[in-house]
Amino acid sequence: MTERHGGVTGQWVLLSYRMPRHPSTPRIAVWRKLKRLGAAQISDGLVALPADARTREQLEWIAEEVTEATGSASIWIARPATVIAERELATAMAQGRAAEYAAIIAEAEAATRATIVERQSLARRLRAELRRIHRRDYFPPVERDQAAAAVAALTTDTTRASEARS
Amino acid sequence: MKWATRASIHIDRAACAWLIRRHIDPSAEFLFLTDPSDLPDVATGFDMRGVDLSHHGGDCSFETILRRYDLDDPVLWKLAEIIHEADIDDERFDAPEAPGLDAMLRGLSMICTDDQILEVTGPMFDGLYEFFRRATLLGREPA
Repeated sequence: MTERHGGVTGQWVLLSYRMPRHPSTPRIAVWRKLKRLGAAQISDGLVALPADARTREQLEWIAEEVTEATGSASIWIARPATVIAERELATAMAQGRAAEYAAIIAEAEAATRATIVERQSLARRLRAELRRIHRRDYFPPVERDQAAAAVAALTTDTTRASEARS
Repeated sequence: MKWATRASIHIDRAACAWLIRRHIDPSAEFLFLTDPSDLPDVATGFDMRGVDLSHHGGDCSFETILRRYDLDDPVLWKLAEIIHEADIDDERFDAPEAPGLDAMLRGLSMICTDDQILEVTGPMFDGLYEFFRRATLLGREPA
């Protein structure tokens, strides 16, 4: 992150791609993968991720998949020309993750009256969901820790409840 | 025979190298390319864009090699599920071992050369293979 301070922008990996409208299955498969990776949509057919070995490789495989589905794709390494442009991109990505964390928090907090067994099973599911979100969380919003705490509370409160009963 | 892949290897390339050496070509020599366009004519490329032994139709390179060389050992296909999830993480398979394997390989890539990673992960994949071979025979996890 330090390199993103002081007026210097970081490196991003971009995937520029075009796919035939039909058949739609490969198009949807690519769209799902990009969503799962948390790629930022810059414009139609142009997505970006902060560049590192993993993000670059993942986008390269998607580029290969696009080409196999008779589309065209290319990978670029680029820097946003201004810090403001980069900040906007990062903010949009952080907001996307914040909304996902907020959904987790809401679901965890709604379970206050559930039974111990229900809360444990909800905690398992939400933990898995948190892991998925973490992998695409490049600019962690404050909701990240709040969501982790809300999910942890599901089982710690359960322990307390069972102790009270015994 | 010479085999080549991209440098800075991770789970899929390490597992492919193990698979090639143990099940396809015991005298395999591996080259690690910084620039994939440097692939020598004499070498078979794997896990890199533009070669056949690579990701195809949602499969990782390990699965592609199993298909291309008609390796139908169910234990290797069990390992393939773990490699697939550690590499692609698309939840096609239930592989709880995958995140741990992913973390181990990422850590190794921080302190080892590619050749060292092959040395270290060779016995590791042998052990995984043995574990799942016994599990397959027993129909449950071995002790």
